[in-house]
Amino acid sequence: MPAKVKEIIFSTPVIEMRNDLELDAIIEDYLLGKLNPQETEAFEQLRRNDATVDHKVVSHKFFLESMEAFAEQLRLREQLNHIHGEIDVESLADTLRPHPSKVVQLWRKHKSALAVAASFLVLSLVSVYSIQHNNKQEAIYEKMSREISRVKQSQNNLVLDVRANSMHNSPKKPNPGNFGGTGFAVSTNGYILTNLHVVNGADSLFVQNSKGESFKVKSVYTDPQNDIAILKISDKHFNGLSTIPYTIKKSLSSIGENVYTLGYPKDDIVLGEGSVSSRSGFVGDTTQYQVSILVNPGNSGGPLLDNNGNLVGIISGKQDQTEGAAFAIKSKYILEAMRAIPQDSLGVNRLSANKKSLLTGLKRTKQIEKLEDYVFMIKVY
Amino acid sequence: MNNSLKSSVPTDREVILGILNNSADTLNKLYKGYYAMVLQFILNNNGDEDDAKDVYQEAIIILYNKVKEGNFELSSKLKTYIYSVCRRIWLKKLNLNSKKAGNITDYEDVFAVEEDVEQHEEKDAAFVKMQSALDHLGEPCKTIIQDFYIHNLSMQDICEKFGYTNTDNAKTQKYKCLQRLKKLFFQHQ
Repeated sequence: MPAKVKEIIFSTPVIEMRNDLELDAIIEDYLLGKLNPQETEAFEQLRRNDATVDHKVVSHKFFLESMEAFAEQLRLREQLNHIHGEIDVESLADTLRPHPSKVVQLWRKHKSALAVAASFLVLSLVSVYSIQHNNKQEAIYEKMSREISRVKQSQNNLVLDVRANSMHNSPKKPNPGNFGGTGFAVSTNGYILTNLHVVNGADSLFVQNSKGESFKVKSVYTDPQNDIAILKISDKHFNGLSTIPYTIKKSLSSIGENVYTLGYPKDDIVLGEGSVSSRSGFVGDTTQYQVSILVNPGNSGGPLLDNNGNLVGIISGKQDQTEGAAFAIKSKYILEAMRAIPQDSLGVNRLSANKKSLLTGLKRTKQIEKLEDYVFMIKVY
Repeated sequence: MNNSLKSSVPTDREVILGILNNSADTLNKLYKGYYAMVLQFILNNNGDEDDAKDVYQEAIIILYNKVKEGNFELSSKLKTYIYSVCRRIWLKKLNLNSKKAGNITDYEDVFAVEEDVEQHEEKDAAFVKMQSALDHLGEPCKTIIQDFYIHNLSMQDICEKFGYTNTDNAKTQKYKCLQRLKKLFFQHQ
């Protein structure tokens, strides 16, 4: 071979080269580094002098590189095929292919989603359990309130003392403890209106104002049909009230009207706010409104007022099973009840529907400041 | 089978070092390590075992070349990389055959590997050209060339294998074949 190279390069001009094949062989040997230094130098000389040779070198270089990459890829593939042959594709595919059973397929596709769903399920089970757990207390309360509500079927009457019921059944028994509700003044000379179920069967009645002063009262009028009672302060320490700030609303309230109540579910006066949610009360009772105010035992008999300080009704109860549904006797029955009392005895400064409320335009806090003196806790012994 | 395959998966670092050192053992473990994952993916997305083999081998080759070129940065888990590449290749094939590719069912995280796959496709086009040039060469040229350039047989071996009287004859034959092959190869350039 080297002899041939010398022959071509030194003794034969390129044009006279016997054939291209020998040039190709030399180019390949050159590119693969098989020529000795002397021959390499000689060939590079030829390459510099002859553009055709140079071009052939470049293109052969490219070809060899392509071939080498191709060969490497083929060898790699061969290797991979060999490895592939060692894998039991058949049985592996059987375990992995879409399962004929839809369930397994769904499970595989939605593994993660199912995991999330499962955790939700666990979470909701836990919360349902805890709600049920909490409900135990409520259930007891409902049961007790149902006992009370024999007075008025299954409507809860919001009387603080659950033993009111036993007292109702046997009024002769001395009342062992105090229970109460709320009432409000309808005249300046000490007439107070409340629910009948608050005072029904009482041995003795007292009212307590927001300052903590107690006055003895007696029942002067009861209206079992509308669950209204009117009490009269018969205490010589009672000095009378100043002008009643609120008036009776003659028209029906609209659904959605903002209303609030003041009452004594505990020893201090408590504000409850909400709105009229229906024009009929418990099981379609048209003498009542349904209001969305959270009321508690003790709120019974409290005044229900609108934003302008007009008396919309009297809080009288709430429904056992439904949350946020309280009932209020409509204001026109207040008027009816007041008419039943000798008009002279009510005095001049009494609650009426004709005057303008003194609370109109006042802020809620100012309204309540003025109202506080007219809302009483009813204490029953 | 599945478990035994998984248990032998080498760590990502081992794979990279193994490929750089031409370790056949590492390649073996790598291949067996993630084959089941890809097989499951293809089988559940309108493919069969052969599709899985093709796609998976493409992906392994892409990874192999990338590591060999020295520009493979282990920015994610190797498993995720292989899965993403396979997913990309399979999606392309599905689109090409206008098979339904609407909702691919995924089994692993995916990240962008478009560039790697495209680079590979360019290279692959050159290989296809070489292959077709070889196929057009005809015998015995094809085998002589393959034996010399791909299987690295010496001219002596080729001479004996094809019954040439001396190596010079074999060499002449080889260069004749090579000349034709180059012509075929560059024709389609």
